[in-house]
Amino acid sequence: MIGPLDVIRFGTQTGNRARAVATDSLYAATLGAIDAVLDSRIAEAAADRLLASRLAEHVVATALRGALVDTAVAAAGPNAERIADAAVDSPAAERLVARVIEGPLLDEAVARLLESEDLWILVDEIARSPAVTDAISHQGVGLADEVGGVVRRRSRRADARLEHAARRILGRGANNDHEG
Amino acid sequence: MTTRADAQIAARRVHGPPREEESVTAYGGFVTRTIAFAIDAAVINLTGIVVAVVVTLVFSVIPASDDLKSAVVAAGAALYVAWTIAYFVTFWTTTGQTLGNRAMRIRVARVDGTPLRPRHGLVRLIGIVVAAVPLLAGFVPILITERRRGLHDFLAGTVVRARGE
Repeated sequence: MIGPLDVIRFGTQTGNRARAVATDSLYAATLGAIDAVLDSRIAEAAADRLLASRLAEHVVATALRGALVDTAVAAAGPNAERIADAAVDSPAAERLVARVIEGPLLDEAVARLLESEDLWILVDEIARSPAVTDAISHQGVGLADEVGGVVRRRSRRADARLEHAARRILGRGANNDHEG
Repeated sequence: MTTRADAQIAARRVHGPPREEESVTAYGGFVTRTIAFAIDAAVINLTGIVVAVVVTLVFSVIPASDDLKSAVVAAGAALYVAWTIAYFVTFWTTTGQTLGNRAMRIRVARVDGTPLRPRHGLVRLIGIVVAAVPLLAGFVPILITERRRGLHDFLAGTVVRARGE
């Protein structure tokens, strides 16, 4: 015989099943909708616009300016620096750097840099800076001074040798010329 | 107690070694003076050549008679002599150094160390010409006298001081 408690238990179980089925259906529908949105061109375009906007730059700058980096390093613990050093010194890192240097990426970057007008403006500014012009002029003066110094030293040695030879030929020492 | 030597050492630390003007060590020798004179001759002749080229170019477009051209050549020769005299006498009587002397770090002065007067400079220049006439024999005393003086130095009462490196 079915009692009132059985009826209540059956009703409760039925309600739970219905809620579970409804939840699963809603979950599946939501994921399907998200997948549909992510697969669409709209999502791709939105992501491109987001990355191209100043918002992304602002977010990254704010994160780096804030305590994010410190927090990450602190979370990594005292071994973080050692791990970073090991990663940098590892053969894999060397191979990676070698591949970057030997690959077309660096050539392309250099080519683009050389084509950049800003680079030549920067070079022009540096070349005209007082520090550089001073250094060049000092180098020129230094070279002339150095050459002059060598000529003077050699000429004075030649003076001494010539006088020595002349005195030997004439068979006399230096004359006293204090008379006048 | 601080001695004079200590003070000099301290001053040397602060101001560096004595400047070249303070370190006269010897007298200019034959080779050094010859190189200095060659530099001066180059300066004088280069200037003369530039002026001559300019004058020649001017007269290449201005019609002038042969007489005028001859007069210009004569005036140019006189100007060249005047320029040479002015070059040496001016430098000797002002700084005591021509450009060549400056390059070789030698300086012309009177025997007592005073600067030359114009008449001394003129006598010295004439003395150089006179010394050169007898197959440069007037310069031989530079090789054998104690203060390296040539005939022109004796005539003008001058010496050529050399400064240390």
